[in-house]
Amino acid sequence: MTEKISLRRVLPRGFRDMAEDARVKASELWLREELDFVRGGRYVIEAESGTGKSSLCSFLYGARCDYDGAIFFDGVDIRGFSIDDWCGLRRLSLAYMPQEMCLFPELTVMENIEIKNRLTAYRSADEIMRLLDRLEIAGKVDETVGRLSVGQQQRVAIIRSLCQPFDFLLIDEPVSHLDARNNCAVASLVEEEAARQGAAVIATSVGNKIAMHGFELVKL
Amino acid sequence: MSKNTVWRLLRRNISIGQIAGYAVANFVGLAIVLTAIQFYRDVTSVWEDDDSFISNDYMILSKRVEGIGSFTGNSSGTKFSQSEIDDIASQPWARKVGKFSSAAFNVYADVELGGNRMGSALFLESIPDDYFDVRPRDWGYEPGKSRFVPVILSKDYLSLYNFGFAASRGMPQVSEEVMGMVPLKLSLSGRGRQEWIDARIVGFSSRLNTIAVPEEFMAWANREFSAGGSESPSRLIVLLDHPGDPQAESYMDEHGYERAGDRADNGKAAYFLSIVTTVVIAVGLVISVLAFFILTLSIYLLLQKNRVKIHQLMQLGYSPRQVSGYYHRIVMAVNLAVLVGAIMVAIVASGCWREPLSALGVESAAPWLTIAIGVAMMGLITFGNIAAISRAVKRDFFV
Repeated sequence: MTEKISLRRVLPRGFRDMAEDARVKASELWLREELDFVRGGRYVIEAESGTGKSSLCSFLYGARCDYDGAIFFDGVDIRGFSIDDWCGLRRLSLAYMPQEMCLFPELTVMENIEIKNRLTAYRSADEIMRLLDRLEIAGKVDETVGRLSVGQQQRVAIIRSLCQPFDFLLIDEPVSHLDARNNCAVASLVEEEAARQGAAVIATSVGNKIAMHGFELVKL
Repeated sequence: MSKNTVWRLLRRNISIGQIAGYAVANFVGLAIVLTAIQFYRDVTSVWEDDDSFISNDYMILSKRVEGIGSFTGNSSGTKFSQSEIDDIASQPWARKVGKFSSAAFNVYADVELGGNRMGSALFLESIPDDYFDVRPRDWGYEPGKSRFVPVILSKDYLSLYNFGFAASRGMPQVSEEVMGMVPLKLSLSGRGRQEWIDARIVGFSSRLNTIAVPEEFMAWANREFSAGGSESPSRLIVLLDHPGDPQAESYMDEHGYERAGDRADNGKAAYFLSIVTTVVIAVGLVISVLAFFILTLSIYLLLQKNRVKIHQLMQLGYSPRQVSGYYHRIVMAVNLAVLVGAIMVAIVASGCWREPLSALGVESAAPWLTIAIGVAMMGLITFGNIAAISRAVKRDFFV
């Protein structure tokens, strides 16, 4: 179980030359001496596009390590994690919905969700149907994902990311293509799942923020 | 269903053409290698059989008789000294060297054949038992205990008698079996003593061009009847490391040694055969190695095309091992099919030459070693493929 994610003077390598840049200096995240995300917390990272929010998600998820500074999970530097360590975390501790969603367009909605769920065996088919129903895409369950709208795809990706136990839920612009009503539906589902597991939610946004309650806002 | 889902994702872009191309190429290469190995083993299985047409692991060495030295009774020029024997034994082509010991006393043989009595002065030689191509039942001698002295005769002598002597003199021709029943009396004399001893021909050798008795008998008789000490041998029998070694030939030319018989030609044939086999195996190996690279390249291409999918699967928590596992299974299935096909080709081909070979009296070798070599080669190729896949998939773990 991961209790705390700590960032120490983290800066994407691509921003090295911009350390003195006003935008980096104003950031509440890059190059901060001490920034912690704690299990159970609610965080929204607000950023303009191009300020490295997706990079941050990739760093935290172990998909990239081109950053300066250090990131610790419960005091352990994640640079030392092996591929097996990351695979374990991705099944049991870290849930992630990337901005580009990374769904397989040739597979159906259910197949896309199952492909994750079979790794974790976390949810029954009925539970998955209930989640789809709650986000109003149950009717699309046998549709290939490539034929869904971006908003529908976002909801599929959210549900897929919830098909595992997690301590931290990392969602990269989860509601960028959703209307206010669907935003609320997603937010309440995410909050409910996080509360049930005592987990933290780290959401990013470039404008349309997820409608969670009582979150801590970090300006990137 | 979901297992198939992953498979459906990963099998995208698999080129049946490329895999089939690899399979055919590797099949051809492996089939050539295995067939050549099986052929070589079938043909050379006769080398293990001592008395065979191609058998040439033994050669008998003597020094060339020159000038009139031997006329004067001075035969020391044709004897091998201990240092010469040691030198031969230390050559890389010589596995072991045996000495001919000859009788240093007078031998006279008396035989009764079809009512005719014949007698002749004889010579006897002995060599260590390991060097005989025949191993008769009654071989061995214990002074005072053995009823008779067993004798092994050169097959050539029997032919000489049957087709040369007996035919022209109107005497009966005899088979090996009959010859074995002929009672033989040997008169040994020397140092002023003389003794009659029963002897019997117990076998015929095609390797040794001599009249051979057991070493135990020779040692005893030399002690009893010989005046001098132990003599240096004038003939040596050498077990070669492999037949027809040209190094052995040049060594003998250099030292002026002669080898007995015309077996050298067989040796050259054997040597030539081993060279041809080596070349054929090398060609097969080259084809197999090229096929291996075709598959490796084809796999890299496939993994490159599926790179995004592979990366996404690992983002979901699939381990590189799980993802590579699907490709490993393809490689193993294809390689297994190729291996089975190639082994079958080798066995079927071996069946084709079994009949002509058995007409030459050659028994085919069992295919187990060939199969083992095929399995080992394929194991190596498969291991290389699997390692390449694992490495490429692991590389896709990070962006």
